[in-house]
Amino acid sequence: MAFDPLDQPGMDLEDQFRSWSELNVDPIPERPDDQYTMTRIILMNGIEVESVMFSHQFARHVDDPTLLRALATSRRADHQQQRAVNWLLPGTLSPLETTIGYEQVAVDLTAWLARNEPDPNIRQALDFALLEDFDHLYRYADLYELMDGRHAEDITRSLTEITPGRPTEVQHRHPVDDLRAHFETHAVDPLTRMHVMTVVAGEQQTMNYYMNHGVDFVEPIARKLYLEIAEIEEQHVTHYESLLDPLDSWIAMWVMHEYNEVYLYWSFAQQETDPRIKRLWELHLEMEIGQLQAACRFLERYEGRDPRELLPPSLPEVPLTMQSNKDYVRQVLATQIDLRSDEGRYVDVSEVGKGAPSTRYQSIVNADGVPTEQVIDLTRDETGGEYRDETEGRHPVESLRAPVTA
Amino acid sequence: MTITDPMFDLGGRSAPAPGTSPDPRRLVGPEELEQPFAADGVNGAFLADFLSAALTHERCGTHLYRSVAARTLNPMLKARYRELGRETQHHVDVLSRAIAAIGGDPSYVSRLARGVERADTGTLESTYALSGSLDPMEQEAVMLDAVLVAETVDHANWSVLAKIVNALPEGPVRSALADAVAEVEPQEDEHLAWARDTKARMTMMQVTSPTMAGAMGGMEAIAAKVRDMFSDLPGT
Repeated sequence: MAFDPLDQPGMDLEDQFRSWSELNVDPIPERPDDQYTMTRIILMNGIEVESVMFSHQFARHVDDPTLLRALATSRRADHQQQRAVNWLLPGTLSPLETTIGYEQVAVDLTAWLARNEPDPNIRQALDFALLEDFDHLYRYADLYELMDGRHAEDITRSLTEITPGRPTEVQHRHPVDDLRAHFETHAVDPLTRMHVMTVVAGEQQTMNYYMNHGVDFVEPIARKLYLEIAEIEEQHVTHYESLLDPLDSWIAMWVMHEYNEVYLYWSFAQQETDPRIKRLWELHLEMEIGQLQAACRFLERYEGRDPRELLPPSLPEVPLTMQSNKDYVRQVLATQIDLRSDEGRYVDVSEVGKGAPSTRYQSIVNADGVPTEQVIDLTRDETGGEYRDETEGRHPVESLRAPVTA
Repeated sequence: MTITDPMFDLGGRSAPAPGTSPDPRRLVGPEELEQPFAADGVNGAFLADFLSAALTHERCGTHLYRSVAARTLNPMLKARYRELGRETQHHVDVLSRAIAAIGGDPSYVSRLARGVERADTGTLESTYALSGSLDPMEQEAVMLDAVLVAETVDHANWSVLAKIVNALPEGPVRSALADAVAEVEPQEDEHLAWARDTKARMTMMQVTSPTMAGAMGGMEAIAAKVRDMFSDLPGT
């Protein structure tokens, strides 16, 4: 049934604040019944972080007191939501185990978005970065094997395969090669807009996590690995955010942020298998509807625009779904492993010249060794092989079948 | 129905451009843009883009008038902004009908229109972005300036449309655009004249009345002065 958040009562902003004890939620088990519960938590944490930071940026561009008060109030509610969500993660998970969860989110979120993306240009952007995050999962999984002697499939439950993607050492690009052409705000399918906003927030949180947690380790290989992969996540933020149309006003962007959050909580409330977490998604859905309606009031009063023209008549029929996407990932691996980016275009590796900006960039950053390759070499040296979780057969790309050569 | 935000669900379409990658399902190609003007010996693609830009400016004008009418403290300005907003909305209807009548698509947003929309968005944002550091009189002046800027561009658009009509050969395109110009242009003259005159009056009122300056009274006193502005005018 069509769900229009503008027709829902929502929760008033002033009613959204919670006590410390309410926010200090009991964590989920280290190995939840449904691994996708954990991925939903990781994604919604990133969504709330983006919401809070967007609101801070907006507030730095205005001094209208009514608007500032509304932004501050809505932002505090979002900040409380962020903590209520992120505090669900158990402290017994190490940063590396959480990282493996982050990469599982990156793979299965990106793959699902690509599978459901109506715009082929945006689908290509998703497919392109999908193979890169897929490779990160493999590199971190091998670090897990190397440092802890444990298998990442215990975390991923083998719902996501673990095997090389586009090797990280060739993912490094000159910054200009991460810039894409953006969608057009009037002609963009609302689903596309939400896909892009969602993946921007997810990648941004992953970048932030690696930037901050790479120093949690004493092992040099771990510190180096996070250092290298954190930069690819920054590339991905650049890549995805450049797909957004800068034409939209600040208030319109605020409305879109809230609408996307409504869509995501609505989606996850439907598929959550843990009743306690489902209730949290439902509570946050009600809150986000209230926040959306507050933003819409500013759109009407300050910009004279009708939210019913700006927003679609209802949420998409299909909820964003965290699920296994093995066949799709294999298909993209088989067909796009050799894609590179040159001057904003996706090209075959054979078309990238020696003097191309990214070729030169790689020669600088990879000059003294590549941690994402070193971690595999070390794992082979220590364990006699490398760690993979190929549940659907041999790697679809012959050159990446074990033993891997990048 | 007056559409002031031609988004995807309302038929929004756009043209390919460097730096953008519009959804292929919503792309408008040059042939489609030129088709209505094929027999008229003009640069049809440019004309279609210009009409889209003019329509976008009118649409942004409706947003601006709704916004300032909702926020002005002065009853005369509120009433006038509402009236001008209704007329601007009518201009959106007239131009949308004219574009449709000649075989164009009013939901097409050209590259030039995007540039216009960004400028108009900036103008509208200027009416609230710094209101925390403006007194009520200054806030009114900023809103009125936004209206003056919008009406200046609007007036220029319809003036040049009148010239375009004169350059077109007799036929359905000229006829549709001529009817639109005939209906709208006189009102645009009035809108611009009103905005200029009101700015002059509001400014001179402050120049000749030192007690209206921010330094001379608290915010409440200034707000009271703003509310009382133009109360001596007939019909207010």
